[in-house]
Amino acid sequence: MEETGAGFRKELVSKLLHLHFKEDKTKVSGDALQLTAELLKIFVVAAIRSVRQAQAEELGCVDVDQLEKVLPQLLLDF
Amino acid sequence: MMEEEEGAEEQQRFSYRQRLKAAVHYTVGCLCEEVASDKEVQFSKQTIAAISEVTFRQCENFAKDLEMFARHAKRSTINTEDVKLLARRSNSLLKYITERNEDIAQFNLERKAKKKKKLEDENKNSVEPAEAGAVESED
Repeated sequence: MEETGAGFRKELVSKLLHLHFKEDKTKVSGDALQLTAELLKIFVVAAIRSVRQAQAEELGCVDVDQLEKVLPQLLLDF
Repeated sequence: MMEEEEGAEEQQRFSYRQRLKAAVHYTVGCLCEEVASDKEVQFSKQTIAAISEVTFRQCENFAKDLEMFARHAKRSTINTEDVKLLARRSNSLLKYITERNEDIAQFNLERKAKKKKKLEDENKNSVEPAEAGAVESED
Protein backbone atom coordinates (compact mmCIF):
# COMPACT_ATOMS: atom_id res chain seq x y z
CA MET A 1 0.00 0.00 0.00
CA GLU A 2 1.55 3.30 -1.05
CA GLU A 3 1.31 6.11 1.40
CA THR A 4 1.19 9.44 -0.37
CA GLY A 5 1.26 12.70 1.52
CA ALA A 6 -1.50 14.65 -0.21
CA GLY A 7 -5.16 13.88 0.35
CA PHE A 8 -8.63 15.27 0.89
CA ARG A 9 -9.24 16.99 4.21
CA LYS A 10 -12.21 15.78 6.27
CA GLU A 11 -13.68 19.26 6.29
CA LEU A 12 -13.61 19.50 2.50
CA VAL A 13 -15.14 16.05 2.09
CA SER A 14 -17.90 17.00 4.51
CA LYS A 15 -18.72 20.17 2.58
CA LEU A 16 -18.63 18.34 -0.75
CA LEU A 17 -21.07 15.71 0.47
CA HIS A 18 -23.44 18.11 2.21
CA LEU A 19 -23.66 20.14 -0.99
CA HIS A 20 -25.64 17.30 -2.57
CA PHE A 21 -27.69 15.85 0.28
CA LYS A 22 -31.42 16.03 -0.18
CA GLU A 23 -32.36 15.96 3.50
CA ASP A 24 -31.26 18.48 6.12
CA LYS A 25 -31.06 15.79 8.78
CA THR A 26 -28.47 13.70 6.92
CA LYS A 27 -25.14 13.57 8.78
CA VAL A 28 -21.84 11.77 8.24
CA SER A 29 -19.80 10.04 10.94
CA GLY A 30 -16.16 11.06 11.36
CA ASP A 31 -14.91 7.62 10.34
CA ALA A 32 -17.10 7.68 7.25
CA LEU A 33 -15.64 11.07 6.30
CA GLN A 34 -12.12 9.71 6.61
CA LEU A 35 -13.00 6.65 4.56
CA THR A 36 -14.66 8.76 1.86
CA ALA A 37 -11.52 10.88 1.72
CA GLU A 38 -9.57 7.67 1.05
CA LEU A 39 -12.01 6.65 -1.65
CA LEU A 40 -11.70 10.02 -3.35
CA LYS A 41 -7.94 9.77 -3.25
CA ILE A 42 -8.08 6.38 -4.95
CA PHE A 43 -10.42 7.80 -7.55
CA VAL A 44 -7.97 10.57 -8.39
CA VAL A 45 -4.94 8.27 -8.36
CA ALA A 46 -6.81 5.84 -10.65
CA ALA A 47 -7.55 8.69 -13.04
CA ILE A 48 -3.90 9.73 -12.96
CA ARG A 49 -2.67 6.17 -13.51
CA SER A 50 -5.01 5.43 -16.41
CA VAL A 51 -3.99 8.62 -18.12
CA ARG A 52 -0.33 7.72 -17.68
CA GLN A 53 -1.02 4.28 -19.11
CA ALA A 54 -2.75 5.75 -22.11
CA GLN A 55 0.18 7.99 -22.91
CA ALA A 56 2.92 5.49 -22.07
CA GLU A 57 4.03 5.13 -25.64
CA GLU A 58 3.76 8.81 -26.52
CA LEU A 59 4.99 12.23 -25.40
CA GLY A 60 6.00 13.24 -21.90
CA CYS A 61 2.88 15.37 -21.54
CA VAL A 62 -0.61 14.10 -20.76
CA ASP A 63 -3.59 15.99 -22.09
CA VAL A 64 -7.34 15.97 -22.21
CA ASP A 65 -7.61 13.63 -25.21
CA GLN A 66 -6.02 10.81 -23.27
CA LEU A 67 -8.26 11.47 -20.30
CA GLU A 68 -11.33 11.30 -22.49
CA LYS A 69 -10.18 7.91 -23.74
CA VAL A 70 -9.93 6.34 -20.31
CA LEU A 71 -12.80 8.11 -18.56
CA PRO A 72 -15.63 5.72 -19.47
CA GLN A 73 -13.80 2.74 -17.97
CA LEU A 74 -12.86 4.69 -14.89
CA LEU A 75 -16.45 5.63 -14.19
CA LEU A 76 -17.58 2.04 -14.66
CA ASP A 77 -15.24 0.86 -11.93
CA PHE A 78 -16.94 3.21 -9.53
CA MET B 1 -37.13 43.14 -4.43
CA MET B 2 -37.62 39.40 -4.22
CA GLU B 3 -35.82 38.89 -7.50
CA GLU B 4 -32.79 40.79 -6.29
CA GLU B 5 -32.62 38.69 -3.17
CA GLU B 6 -32.92 35.52 -5.15
CA GLY B 7 -30.21 36.74 -7.50
CA ALA B 8 -27.89 37.45 -4.60
CA GLU B 9 -28.58 34.05 -3.08
CA GLU B 10 -27.93 32.40 -6.40
CA GLN B 11 -24.67 34.27 -6.68
CA GLN B 12 -23.66 33.17 -3.19
CA ARG B 13 -24.41 29.54 -3.99
CA PHE B 14 -22.42 29.77 -7.18
CA SER B 15 -19.34 31.26 -5.55
CA TYR B 16 -19.54 28.71 -2.72
CA ARG B 17 -19.53 25.97 -5.33
CA GLN B 18 -16.58 27.61 -7.07
CA ARG B 19 -14.64 27.72 -3.81
CA LEU B 20 -15.25 24.02 -3.24
CA LYS B 21 -14.16 23.26 -6.80
CA ALA B 22 -11.02 25.26 -6.24
CA ALA B 23 -10.27 23.27 -3.09
CA VAL B 24 -10.74 20.01 -5.00
CA HIS B 25 -8.54 21.34 -7.79
CA TYR B 26 -5.81 22.12 -5.30
CA THR B 27 -5.88 18.62 -3.80
CA VAL B 28 -5.94 16.99 -7.23
CA GLY B 29 -2.99 19.18 -8.23
CA CYS B 30 -1.04 18.02 -5.17
CA LEU B 31 -1.75 14.37 -5.95
CA CYS B 32 -0.74 14.85 -9.59
CA GLU B 33 2.47 16.46 -8.46
CA GLU B 34 3.27 13.54 -6.18
CA VAL B 35 2.73 11.03 -8.95
CA ALA B 36 4.55 13.15 -11.52
CA SER B 37 7.61 13.63 -9.35
CA ASP B 38 8.67 10.01 -9.17
CA LYS B 39 7.82 8.98 -12.71
CA GLU B 40 8.98 11.39 -15.39
CA VAL B 41 5.61 12.63 -16.42
CA GLN B 42 4.27 16.13 -16.61
CA PHE B 43 0.58 16.82 -16.33
CA SER B 44 -0.86 19.62 -18.39
CA LYS B 45 -3.02 22.19 -16.64
CA GLN B 46 -5.99 21.02 -18.67
CA THR B 47 -5.52 17.45 -17.48
CA ILE B 48 -5.41 18.48 -13.85
CA ALA B 49 -8.49 20.64 -14.39
CA ALA B 50 -10.29 17.80 -16.16
CA ILE B 51 -9.51 15.24 -13.44
CA SER B 52 -10.56 17.81 -10.87
CA GLU B 53 -13.87 18.46 -12.64
CA VAL B 54 -14.62 14.75 -12.91
CA THR B 55 -13.78 14.25 -9.23
CA PHE B 56 -16.05 17.10 -8.20
CA ARG B 57 -18.89 15.62 -10.22
CA GLN B 58 -18.25 12.15 -8.79
CA CYS B 59 -18.79 13.58 -5.30
CA GLU B 60 -22.40 14.23 -6.24
CA ASN B 61 -22.88 10.55 -7.07
CA PHE B 62 -21.18 9.51 -3.86
CA ALA B 63 -23.23 11.90 -1.73
CA LYS B 64 -26.57 10.85 -3.20
CA ASP B 65 -25.74 7.15 -2.95
CA LEU B 66 -24.50 7.47 0.63
CA GLU B 67 -27.61 9.33 1.68
CA MET B 68 -29.76 6.64 0.11
CA PHE B 69 -27.83 3.77 1.67
CA ALA B 70 -28.18 5.27 5.14
CA ARG B 71 -31.83 5.99 4.58
CA HIS B 72 -32.38 2.44 3.38
CA ALA B 73 -30.94 1.25 6.68
CA LYS B 74 -33.29 3.68 8.45
CA ARG B 75 -30.45 5.87 9.67
CA SER B 76 -29.85 9.58 9.24
CA THR B 77 -26.13 9.32 9.92
CA ILE B 78 -23.96 7.88 7.17
CA ASN B 79 -21.41 5.38 8.50
CA THR B 80 -18.46 3.41 7.15
CA GLU B 81 -20.64 0.50 6.00
CA ASP B 82 -22.36 2.88 3.61
CA VAL B 83 -19.01 4.08 2.28
CA LYS B 84 -17.88 0.49 1.73
CA LEU B 85 -20.95 -0.10 -0.41
CA LEU B 86 -19.71 2.62 -2.75
CA ALA B 87 -16.66 0.46 -3.46
CA ARG B 88 -18.63 -2.71 -4.17
CA ARG B 89 -18.11 -2.84 -7.94
CA SER B 90 -14.45 -3.81 -7.89
CA ASN B 91 -13.13 -6.58 -5.64
CA SER B 92 -9.68 -5.10 -5.28
CA LEU B 93 -11.14 -1.68 -4.54
CA LEU B 94 -13.48 -3.11 -1.90
CA LYS B 95 -10.62 -5.02 -0.32
CA TYR B 96 -8.43 -1.93 -0.22
CA ILE B 97 -11.17 0.22 1.28
CA THR B 98 -11.99 -2.40 3.89
CA GLU B 99 -8.35 -2.49 4.92
CA ARG B 100 -8.18 1.30 5.10
CA ASN B 101 -11.31 1.26 7.23
CA GLU B 102 -9.68 -1.11 9.68
CA ASP B 103 -6.58 1.10 9.80
CA ILE B 104 -8.72 4.16 10.55
CA ALA B 105 -10.69 2.36 13.25
CA GLN B 106 -7.51 1.05 14.83
CA PHE B 107 -5.84 4.45 14.75
CA ASN B 108 -8.84 6.18 16.32
CA LEU B 109 -9.09 3.50 18.99
CA GLU B 110 -5.45 4.01 19.93
CA ARG B 111 -5.88 7.75 19.97
CA LYS B 112 -8.88 7.46 22.28
CA ALA B 113 -7.00 5.13 24.60
CA LYS B 114 -4.09 7.58 24.77
CA LYS B 115 -6.43 10.47 25.54
CA LYS B 116 -8.22 8.49 28.21
CA LYS B 117 -4.95 7.46 29.82
CA LYS B 118 -3.75 11.06 29.76
CA LEU B 119 -6.94 12.24 31.44
CA GLU B 120 -6.69 9.53 34.07
CA ASP B 121 -3.10 10.47 34.82
CA GLU B 122 -4.03 14.13 35.15
CA ASN B 123 -6.90 13.31 37.47
CA LYS B 124 -4.67 11.16 39.62
CA ASN B 125 -2.22 14.01 40.10
CA SER B 126 -4.84 16.60 40.97
CA VAL B 127 -6.57 14.61 43.70
CA GLU B 128 -6.27 16.16 47.23
CA PRO B 129 -3.75 14.44 49.51
CA ALA B 130 -6.48 14.37 52.21
CA GLU B 131 -8.27 11.73 50.22
CA ALA B 132 -7.43 8.18 50.99
CA GLY B 133 -3.63 8.48 51.14
CA ALA B 134 -3.46 5.80 48.48
CA VAL B 135 -2.73 8.36 45.78
CA GLU B 136 0.92 8.93 45.04
CA SER B 137 2.18 11.97 43.22
CA GLU B 138 4.84 11.48 40.59
CA ASP B 139 7.77 13.76 41.12
